[in-house]
Amino acid sequence: MSTAQGLPPDAAPEPTPPGEQPGRNTGELVMAGLLAALGLYLVLDAGSIAVPGSSNQVGPRFFPYLVGGVVLATGIALGVRVWRGDQGPADESEDVDPTAGTSWQAVAIISVAFLAHALLINVVGWPLAVTLMFATVAWALGARGIVRPLIAGGIAAVVVWIVFVKALNVALPGGTLLEWATDWF
Amino acid sequence: MSSGVVVVGFVPGPRGEAALQHAVEECRRRGARLVVVNSSRGDALVDERFVQGEPLRRLQDELTVSGVPAELRQPVRGRDVAEELADVVRETGAELLVIGLRRRTAVGKLLMGSAAQRILLDVECPILAVKSAPGD
Amino acid sequence: MDALGDLVGGLGDALTPQNLLFALLGVLLGTAVGVLPGIGPAMTVALLLPVTYVLEPTSAFIMFAGIYYGGMYGGSTTSILLNTPGESSSIMTALEGNKMAKAGRGAAALATAALGSFVAGTIATLLLALVAPTVVDLAIGITAADYFAIAVLAFVAVATVLGASPLRGLASLGIGLYLGLVGTDVLTGQERFTLGVPQLSDGIDVVVVAVALFAVGEALYVASRLRRGPVQVMGASGSWFTREDLRRSWKPWLRGTAFGFPFGALPAGGAEIPTFLSYATERKLSKHPEQFGKGAIEGVAGPEAANNAAAAGVLVPLLTLGIPTSATAAIILAAFQGYGIQTGPTLLTTESPLVWTLIASLLIGNFMLLVLNLPLVGLWVKLLRIPRPYLYAGILMFASLGSYAVNADPLDLVLLLVIGLLGFFMRRYGWPVAPAVIGLILGPIAETNLRRALAISGGDLGVLVESWVSRIVLGLVLLALVGPIVLRLVRGPRSTPEELQQEGTLQHRVPAGRGRGDDEEEEEDR
Repeated sequence: MSTAQGLPPDAAPEPTPPGEQPGRNTGELVMAGLLAALGLYLVLDAGSIAVPGSSNQVGPRFFPYLVGGVVLATGIALGVRVWRGDQGPADESEDVDPTAGTSWQAVAIISVAFLAHALLINVVGWPLAVTLMFATVAWALGARGIVRPLIAGGIAAVVVWIVFVKALNVALPGGTLLEWATDWF
Repeated sequence: MSSGVVVVGFVPGPRGEAALQHAVEECRRRGARLVVVNSSRGDALVDERFVQGEPLRRLQDELTVSGVPAELRQPVRGRDVAEELADVVRETGAELLVIGLRRRTAVGKLLMGSAAQRILLDVECPILAVKSAPGD
Repeated sequence: MDALGDLVGGLGDALTPQNLLFALLGVLLGTAVGVLPGIGPAMTVALLLPVTYVLEPTSAFIMFAGIYYGGMYGGSTTSILLNTPGESSSIMTALEGNKMAKAGRGAAALATAALGSFVAGTIATLLLALVAPTVVDLAIGITAADYFAIAVLAFVAVATVLGASPLRGLASLGIGLYLGLVGTDVLTGQERFTLGVPQLSDGIDVVVVAVALFAVGEALYVASRLRRGPVQVMGASGSWFTREDLRRSWKPWLRGTAFGFPFGALPAGGAEIPTFLSYATERKLSKHPEQFGKGAIEGVAGPEAANNAAAAGVLVPLLTLGIPTSATAAIILAAFQGYGIQTGPTLLTTESPLVWTLIASLLIGNFMLLVLNLPLVGLWVKLLRIPRPYLYAGILMFASLGSYAVNADPLDLVLLLVIGLLGFFMRRYGWPVAPAVIGLILGPIAETNLRRALAISGGDLGVLVESWVSRIVLGLVLLALVGPIVLRLVRGPRSTPEELQQEGTLQHRVPAGRGRGDDEEEEEDR
């Protein structure tokens, strides 16, 4: 059998020894640090929540203090655990290659595409903004060509828009053209 | 023995079997080596045209039994069948490509487009197109 | 009997043509998304929460009930045919069922899973109907302090017992509790943690958080570790369900139900442990222990029944106490809140017709699934041919739709992305997502009860351990917090599903270093 043998799941995954993805520990250490910071923020900021004078009962600060304390303690404890080399099992998802390293590029492209579509919705309407987002995401995930993702996204977006806006009365800006074209509905 | 190569595009099912049979015969006649290509774009969780597991073992057995020097390639590179076949033909300098055709009506053809058409346009060597036996 | 009369009434309400249509829609939708990779019932219900703005409650909940059960059927189908368990509770089904399919017994594996799900789902739903009024009777007398204790038990159980790593579960829970705090305090009208952003003063919408953590987070995670190449799909081939299969299956179905329902019904529930227990039990009791690990039908029948019974069990605390113990239950609770329906012990009296229609539609949906699913297996597998780029782009499209429809505010979509990225990082480092959703939804309820209890006592914390109920429940909390840690220290990590398959007993042993789950893929084929 030759070079380009596919990736049947039966084959033993050799390339990356599991649990050795570079940066994994550092990344989670940062997560634990941020969690501890969140706890600290909760505890500190809870002190500035205004308490209405009358109350001789437990006010709006008590639960935040409690949550903040738990979060802070968890963050610190987790940080220590991770520092000592403990690793969580990465989420087992149906369609994920557990041996693959993380493709930050794909995550970045999708995030930017999604952010752009959020800002574009009120300008060009939901269907067009979503079409662009759909095509970019599909492209980032390895769809071929540019035309096909655009057409697929466009059709899906317009169909969904018509179903939800015209049949179910959900409020979604359609963009000038589409709203004009479906006005008679 | 000549250094000729016959390439066959294989998919599970009657048309793939028919193509493989013809390709094996052609190899015997020409004294050529057989390259079996079974590719997948690999972009969906399931691709029934990609041979794995038990059917794969059966295919390999079949190739061994045929007595023709054969090689199986299963590229998964996100590319269409036509591109993969054209690539293999170019790389091996194949003298013949065998493909299996689906039985389709004119309307079905119009709706679905055709991988075969793209193969005919893209590949640079003679192509033998085979249909499965009508009974299948 | 009272409950049965109510149930029959519910059946009458659910059997109208329109409601049957919604049940069918839910069942088909649920199965489809259960089959599709990367989408579970929690995500589907979350994405569909906006329909609560247009549908009347009965229709919406009938549809959610269909999705809830349908998602599990779909999940077991792919587990058996593709060996891709989407959730930890279907790992055992995948291990044994896929071996059966490989041995040419795919049809029988699917059949025992479907029939087992039906039997377990029906029995467990009837148990739910019988138990619910009793639990409500007991619960009506509990104090705010007791309620707070039960909520804490749910938090701790979800965070520490269910996940592989208790600390990471607590971390996720903390994030959820924080997100639940953002907004205006209902009792005093004070803004908390809003950072001065006016949109945040109404709080962060549950829809946005749930869709972000499940849909956006999952899409990003899959994108980051894209599987390239198809997996092998086994045909649903072989002899259909034989008399021999039935003889070997019916006891495991019943035993699985007996394991699953109580585990689901306890606030410390979850479906993972009962499926493991069921598998271990069947292996011990089987006359064919040598077949285990090679495709024993009992090893599919038992865990699958346990899984479904647990799903019905989860509805007990949800409907009687308003305490969600799974992500899907939490989102269904959010749907109740969306309609302004007061959950808790009073739900069964104030919304009696709605609840009984919901329970009845579970029975109907279960039956529809049995009838529809086996013939439709071919269709479901075809769904898996959707190319990944389009599938995940489509998920993001629906995420955008659902979140934007809440307030028609693009800021919600930015928030969606931010929390989605958080969900991505949580998945990336093995922090479970479910505790965050439960914390978000149950957190405010817990706080209200805590403050109510302390208001009555005049701020004396002693009120929290005044009644026997809260003492016992808080004792359980302590056990759930300390237990796993002690067990881990004494006996090492819990055995992996593969070890369970090899050795047949659920035990704690000490493998070298790595955490559970890391080494599953390669163990499989050695």
